[in-house]
Amino acid sequence: MASQQMAEPHAGPALRRAVEGSTAQWFGLAVRIALVVVWGWAGLAKISDPAEAAQAVRAYEILPESLVKPIGYGLPFLELALALLLLIGLGVRIVAVISALLLFTFVAGIGSAWARGISIDCGCFGGGGAVDASKTEYLQEILRDCGFLLLVSWLVFRPHTRLSADAWLAA
Amino acid sequence: MSEKNREGKRSAREKMLEARASDETRAKRNKKLGVIGGVAAVIAVAVVVGVVVQNQRSKPETPVAAPVGAVADKNLVIPSGPANAPSVLTVYEDPRCPACGAFERQLSPTVDQLEDQGKLYVNYHLVSFIDRSLSGKGSKYGANALACAQDAGHFRDYHDVLYRNQPEETSDSFGNNATLLSLAKQVNGLDSPTFESCVNDNRYGGWVSSVQQDFDKSGYKSTPTVLLNGKPIYPKNGEEQISPENLVKWVDAANQGKPLGTTGPGKESPAPSSTAAESNTPPSP
Repeated sequence: MASQQMAEPHAGPALRRAVEGSTAQWFGLAVRIALVVVWGWAGLAKISDPAEAAQAVRAYEILPESLVKPIGYGLPFLELALALLLLIGLGVRIVAVISALLLFTFVAGIGSAWARGISIDCGCFGGGGAVDASKTEYLQEILRDCGFLLLVSWLVFRPHTRLSADAWLAA
Repeated sequence: MSEKNREGKRSAREKMLEARASDETRAKRNKKLGVIGGVAAVIAVAVVVGVVVQNQRSKPETPVAAPVGAVADKNLVIPSGPANAPSVLTVYEDPRCPACGAFERQLSPTVDQLEDQGKLYVNYHLVSFIDRSLSGKGSKYGANALACAQDAGHFRDYHDVLYRNQPEETSDSFGNNATLLSLAKQVNGLDSPTFESCVNDNRYGGWVSSVQQDFDKSGYKSTPTVLLNGKPIYPKNGEEQISPENLVKWVDAANQGKPLGTTGPGKESPAPSSTAAESNTPPSP
């Protein structure tokens, strides 16, 4: 018991300060802002033309026609809601978990399109639909989403960030 | 102070601390539930409002205004040539699509000729999806201007002129109505105040969007998609490459033994005059 208590502070302080201290909370704020930009941009780009958003969903050839429009119309607003929540910092951990689930879904969808050999643009930031086989960018799209997943996972494990509604409510 | 008393005091303090601790946990849990509820509410409201608004915005899938003489389900198709011709050519093309430009430059004189001979009825679907991938307005505005030309009775000539003067795919010059209007001057009798306001007001914007949504659902993924009597013939019909000579051959084969469609002056816009002669094919008689 005693030796354990001795061991922890030895391994700890520098690392602990790095992941939990105020620097980390400022970093968490930066991560939140980055994700606000990602979700905000992704959402706004899909709003101007509902038919285009629906076609981007349809092009994956995964969902039945009856779900194409609800998803195509609703997804951009889900993304904007996540951006808003991250901006004010409300429920950072749960929002990060939802973001991660959404990103996993996107990666799975893109991977599925790739595996089935259909040629589409992911429609991640607007656009979407069938493209020429030479213009598919599945690997880049998946890597990009994985980068976003790294950001999101920081917030899942370190949800305490500066200038957040969470911190204000806890005080 | 007796031993008993001390014990009693301690247990009272412990009890109080315990109670305070459990109050704190409860308050914490309530706060947490409140946050989760808040998050859920924000997301639910956003998504529901979004679906309703977008549904409303994309509502008229049956467009309010369709160009004069448009045919087929919901009037989404521009016809050209005699409706009672024995063969039907269905063409899906986007004003900005380079392959459509190449197809038109190679084949429009032949297609026009087959129409005028009563052999072919052409159904044009004015697709506008290049604007999505390359951004811009050229496909949509181009399609709208074509619909305006249909109103004016000059669809075929204007269609041929547009494709002959098509910009690079990445340049969005059709997104500028001034370009579309200046090209209209190449078609005799097309340019008029009515046509100009139709182009500038994007009068058939809703119709163009409906045509595109119809294409989205068609399962065809690229333009040009060209069907002769329902069978794809672009870029190849079976083993044979599409060409003016082959198109004539295929149409003649399909038409064998069937009466030709009615042709006559005034019914359709006349064959393209001066501008048509510029094209590289076929050798004119």
